[in-house]
Amino acid sequence: MTNAVSMQGVRKTFGRKVAVEGIDLTIPQGSIYGFIGPNGAGKTTTIRMIMSILFPDSGELSVLGKKSAVESKDQIGYLPEERGIYKKMKVGAFLTHMGRLKGMDSQGLRTTVMEWLDRVELADVAKKKCEELSKGMQQKVQFIASVLHNPDLIILDEPFSGLDPVNMRLLRTLIDEQHSNGKTVIFSTHVMYQAEQICDHIIMIHQGRKVLDDTLDDIRTRFDPRAIHVDPVGGIAQADQIAKIQGISHVTPVEGVLEVVLKEGVDPQEAMKSMLGAMPLNRIEIKRPTLEDVFIEIVTGGHRGQHAQALRAELLAGTTSESEAES
Amino acid sequence: MNLSKIFRVASREFASTAMTKGFIIGAIVVPAAMVPIIFLVMMLSMNAQPPADNGTIYILDPSSEVTSILEDRLDPEQVRVRWKERFQQISDAAKSMIPQANTPGATSAIDKAADSFQSPNIRVISAGSDTNIDQLKEELRQQVASQSSQTDEIERILGVIEIDADATRKINPEEGFGSYQAFLRPKLNEETVSEIENSVEWSIREKRYENAGIDRNVVSEISRVESRKSQEITADGERGNSSGLSNFAIPFGSMLLLLIATMTGGQYLLTTTIEEKSNRVVEVLLSALSPMELMTGKILGQMGVGLSLLLIYNSVGILALVVFGLGDLMTPGKVILFFVYFILAYFMFASLMAAIGSAVNDLREAQSLMTPVMLMMFVPYIFFMPVIRAPNSLLSTVMSFIPPISPFIMIMRVSSNDPPPMWQVGASIFVNMIGVMIFLWVAAKVFRVGLLMYGKPPNLRTLFKWVRMA
Repeated sequence: MTNAVSMQGVRKTFGRKVAVEGIDLTIPQGSIYGFIGPNGAGKTTTIRMIMSILFPDSGELSVLGKKSAVESKDQIGYLPEERGIYKKMKVGAFLTHMGRLKGMDSQGLRTTVMEWLDRVELADVAKKKCEELSKGMQQKVQFIASVLHNPDLIILDEPFSGLDPVNMRLLRTLIDEQHSNGKTVIFSTHVMYQAEQICDHIIMIHQGRKVLDDTLDDIRTRFDPRAIHVDPVGGIAQADQIAKIQGISHVTPVEGVLEVVLKEGVDPQEAMKSMLGAMPLNRIEIKRPTLEDVFIEIVTGGHRGQHAQALRAELLAGTTSESEAES
Repeated sequence: MNLSKIFRVASREFASTAMTKGFIIGAIVVPAAMVPIIFLVMMLSMNAQPPADNGTIYILDPSSEVTSILEDRLDPEQVRVRWKERFQQISDAAKSMIPQANTPGATSAIDKAADSFQSPNIRVISAGSDTNIDQLKEELRQQVASQSSQTDEIERILGVIEIDADATRKINPEEGFGSYQAFLRPKLNEETVSEIENSVEWSIREKRYENAGIDRNVVSEISRVESRKSQEITADGERGNSSGLSNFAIPFGSMLLLLIATMTGGQYLLTTTIEEKSNRVVEVLLSALSPMELMTGKILGQMGVGLSLLLIYNSVGILALVVFGLGDLMTPGKVILFFVYFILAYFMFASLMAAIGSAVNDLREAQSLMTPVMLMMFVPYIFFMPVIRAPNSLLSTVMSFIPPISPFIMIMRVSSNDPPPMWQVGASIFVNMIGVMIFLWVAAKVFRVGLLMYGKPPNLRTLFKWVRMA
């Protein structure tokens, strides 16, 4: 299998600020990759370099087997983070224009546009001006503009921001469909659970560096749970008693349940059995690490505590700033 | 460079600018409608006559020599004949000057206006030698103050004329003749006022001729010299004197037209570039084509806008010259040069506009960067006088080789009566082509960096940094 995108030691600076530092990655054809990381991490810069909108200061890059996307722009679909449309243009005309710019034949283009509009339930807006559409509708139009020309590589920068749950599901279906047609999909998000739902491979970028590059399954295995969530019948007051059980490092109450952290080398199954034997429980489960957990683990180097809590809160708010993510 | 993509961008650019109602109305319909509108206004003003000033004029004439002549002169029927004659002369002149006025519709409209012409009905009353001028003035003042509309219009006092005792006969031979003083009601029609003044003067003169024993007809015959239009002898033969037109109007008009077309295209380019940037549509576009392709397409599209303006205005202008029999002032060579200089000027101006448009976030921020560009564009406007007066002076020649003002200076020189030698035309085109390349090169660099830069608007120093960076 050839690679849709590969980068070796790519570096990009803006003045004194280093946006991307030494990124190596390969994205095989037909895969669906997620770029995750907080705002300002360097995701958009990386994507823009893949798109040849920006050019790296140093390092190697190839897109769809070409030296740069300049030669293969017509095989790439791109939905930028900053949504752009011609406000005064009619929706149909805008999509036709974009299709022509992407090298499509004018013959049958109108039909293709109408088919796509129909699929996203916007068939009746073709004659409307773009500025008359709601934000969500505009976003769907822009998505069409990025896939209209049937590209081999689809790059979506924050595709879900600003969409309501119904449209989010619609968009996810469309992305899945492209993927199952054998297209390579790269998308970036700062909302990590979206990546968990869609991607089979995750690349995590933090402060311009790649900090993680693995399949979702491998990540889950590698960041093996050392934690079990327990909800004793006696409530969180039972914490002390659980802490006494062998193989348990410490117990902290989290959101109404007890988070039990195991010592190194302890089998979670064994620990769960001992806990079940020790007292009646409403619920007991292995805590699945979310990407957020993984991210925080990587960034803080495994230290927990206040800093990690603060970081988590900010991640949920989606506004981790550079300075606070440091240290 | 993908030509078909450039063409796509150019045609969208052209369509979104030139195919809008605003542009068609502003640039084509309005100028095209100008001629009929001017004519219509003229006709309306002819038809819409103010009500005639009817009323009485008191004349205080100590010598009693002028009154009877004036009475005769201001007889309503005579006034009417004179006014109609004058109107006929004016409309004849209009017909010969404006071709449209010769259409049957227009002619009948003029004739109708002439028929419905309202001349004033003025009664002249001698005030009698015992009347004081102050009494008459007071009576007029009271009538004006009361503002009551007279039941009998003829009782309305239009004015009081005081004729000097020595107006027609010198009392002291050492001194000249006396004169007259008119005191008039306010807001009389301009034509009525001049009719009264002219008639008084005519009457006084008439009496003076009589007293001196001179036949008036002889005098007017002697003093009239028919003026014939001067002819120019050119290499091709005789033609009407057109020095005013060819020395001034045509060079100035050409320069202005070039300036308007260049600025229109450039301004639209600035606006659409800023719009694309602030709409964030630019990143979508850049995923389909390179910045250079985008800029080239946009510049070419707006060039189409400027060219269509030029084409329309030029054809109207040339048509007008041909109609007036001055078609030979604009040779095909001059027209071709006109378009060549437009393209050169436009490319330089448009490069600057593209660079500025890509560097800023909105039109307001563009203003500060636009100021130096605008000042530069006004240089040919400021220097048009010295250049037109002496198209081959040192100043004119030197300015002909400074891009980007060179095309404007050259078009003035080329279309003047004293065109520059061919080698200068060729050399200026060459210099401008080099200018175009430099401007485009700089603009391309700024454009590439600027398009994706948001935030603080750059100053000239940052722009310079971008040029070196890209």
